[in-house]
Amino acid sequence: MMTGFARRLAGHLTRGLVMIWVVTTFTFVLIRLMPGDPVQVQIERNIAMGMPPDQAEAAAAVTYGFVPHGPMWKQYLEYMGGILRFDLGVSVESQGVPVADRVLGAMPWTVVLVLTGILVSFLIGVVLGVIAAIKRSTVVGHSLSIAGSLLHGVPPFVIGIILAALFTRQWRLFPSGGVYNADEVAPGLYFDFIGNVLYHAALPAAAYALATYGGWLLAMRSSVASVLGDDFLLAAELRGLTSLTRFRYLARNAILPLFTVLAISFGLVFGGSIFIERIFNYPGLGMLLFSSIGSRDYSMMSGAFLMITVAVIVANILADLLYSAIDPRVRRQA
Amino acid sequence: MTITMVKAPAVSISGLTVAYKTDAGELPAVSQVDLELAAGTITGLVGESGSGKSTLALSLLGAVQKPGRVTAGSVVVDGIGDMAKLAGEELRTVRGAKIGYVFQAAQNSLNPLKTVGKQLLDLGKAHKVRDLKGLLRHAKDLLDRMGLNADRVLDAYQHELSGGMRQRVGIMFALVLNAHVLVLDEPTTALDMITQANILQIVRDVHKEQGLTTLVVTHDVGVVAEVAHKIAVMYGGRIVEHGPVTQVLAEPRHPYTRGLIHAIPRLTGDISAAKALPGTPPTLGTIPKQGCVFRERCALRMEVCETVEPPAQRMLDGRTVACHAVKEGAA
Ligand SMILES: Nc1ncnc2c1ncn2[C@@H]1O[C@H](COP(=O)(O)OP(=O)(O)OP(=O)(O)O)[C@@H](O)[C@H]1O
Ligand SMILES: [Mg+2]
Repeated sequence: MMTGFARRLAGHLTRGLVMIWVVTTFTFVLIRLMPGDPVQVQIERNIAMGMPPDQAEAAAAVTYGFVPHGPMWKQYLEYMGGILRFDLGVSVESQGVPVADRVLGAMPWTVVLVLTGILVSFLIGVVLGVIAAIKRSTVVGHSLSIAGSLLHGVPPFVIGIILAALFTRQWRLFPSGGVYNADEVAPGLYFDFIGNVLYHAALPAAAYALATYGGWLLAMRSSVASVLGDDFLLAAELRGLTSLTRFRYLARNAILPLFTVLAISFGLVFGGSIFIERIFNYPGLGMLLFSSIGSRDYSMMSGAFLMITVAVIVANILADLLYSAIDPRVRRQA
Repeated sequence: MTITMVKAPAVSISGLTVAYKTDAGELPAVSQVDLELAAGTITGLVGESGSGKSTLALSLLGAVQKPGRVTAGSVVVDGIGDMAKLAGEELRTVRGAKIGYVFQAAQNSLNPLKTVGKQLLDLGKAHKVRDLKGLLRHAKDLLDRMGLNADRVLDAYQHELSGGMRQRVGIMFALVLNAHVLVLDEPTTALDMITQANILQIVRDVHKEQGLTTLVVTHDVGVVAEVAHKIAVMYGGRIVEHGPVTQVLAEPRHPYTRGLIHAIPRLTGDISAAKALPGTPPTLGTIPKQGCVFRERCALRMEVCETVEPPAQRMLDGRTVACHAVKEGAA
């Protein structure tokens, strides 16, 4: 029973490591081998500002985590070695601040945002999708399907801009930035602080939810419609099971295929956080990535890329766990 | 295990018409059917695909599915009442507890995400069974008697059971609450010959042991020959012939029954004599609105068949036949 899961976990981890390797190699190529090599640029700029060449090179080595000197494969190995020790260098922009600290500091806020956004979107979409399917030949069903397709396909950032304009400028109902108000609450696991964090995450999360609930609605509607045609529900009816029990049978079977999509959507939303966080001035990983791109802070950029990759891998593993927890056909593979 | 010897109830269907809403209007799939399931008997309902067998079987549980509905007639089960009029909680509690329905083996009549045992508990709770342990014991007993490893089956998911095992689990679900009317829709379709014979043996045994009134729906006359006391032949939504199995099979009177039986060499024993019935059965839209529904394929077609629907005539040997060409006394 456990071996099936262990085998899939091993698969996830292997794929994850390959993904991390590809992403980090890609960033190495980006910072070292692309024209306009940012490492070289930094060294030259420091020399131009009057720094002796060897000192300028040492500064670059601290920034990027490898000595930009000698054969390229040696530099690459040194860079990869640093990543294995989670030494991601220091920020180019704000000298002396380790990239790992910034990235790890920003990470939780993006997780809060993405999780709330997806959860709210998923719940709304699934509940409305069930109603749309069960009442599919009524006005309610038709209106829900239209409501589902309406915002479906509008990019989250467009909805984000509208929400930000309406609720932070026009009516100042929500904060215009930040992850919590440091004047009002101190960090800790208590009601006021969590409330404050959610208050700050509400608008950007709502932007995700509005942009994506329609997808869940339509997916759930078609899934419910197909399960409704299954014999086992008629069989349950003919056995005299209560409508509540039959609804449970229906819901659990219909929601199952949506969990695989959930994992993919987690990755997409995480990657898409760059726009949303920028719009709402929300200092998470996306914002960090955005500002590091703006200031050509390559060490910060590669750190953020790495973190996003790790988050997507973890999301995949969690989704798989969830999936196998509710599908016995996966759990009990022969 | 206490065998409660409640007398099996009789089921009498009269004037039953069930129609489905289609683009061409509401069309009857079962039309003016009169059929008596005598208490304690096994009746085999045969007919080609689309003749309305499942629709009729579902109406025994008041469960005709949308867009269909009972437009006329009644299905009266002794001690319960007219199934066509029952609704709500009353209808729900009768299903499963008083009348059991068994799906075709290949169909998935179990929730794929729950073990058989868990679904058995759902059944017990839905019918307010207080003694759930007793229910479990009864289920195990039934499964044992049907030759299954009860503990293993109760702990299994649907995908871990073979077609024949699923079928037996289906029968267990239909009987575990001591229902006395059992409806089996295509109980052996899609099963291999050995499993098929096995299941039919089981049907016969539980029918006798539990004291049931049973309806077996099938398109296979051989199945009826094997298990049933009575046979009802359905064509285009009508019962065209109904009577004791041995007599009807030995000497079919309705031309359709004859065609059906002659199409099967293993019943007549003469392969060269076996010939398929010419033509194809009608569908909802092509069932004639007046006259005999079988006339298009009938060798005995007469003038009167075009306009007058043949009434069911009771023969001297107790069977009923609906055919203008069949006269009492003539064979
Ligand atoms: N939900 C439905 N909507 C419309 N027509 C239906 C529906 N269900 C059945 N019918 C029609 O009613 C007629 C009888 O169907 P039914 O399922 O009772 O036949 P059957 O004798 O059980 O056939 P089979 O041997 O293929 O199971 C068929 O013509 C079928 O097309
Ligand atoms: Mg059928």
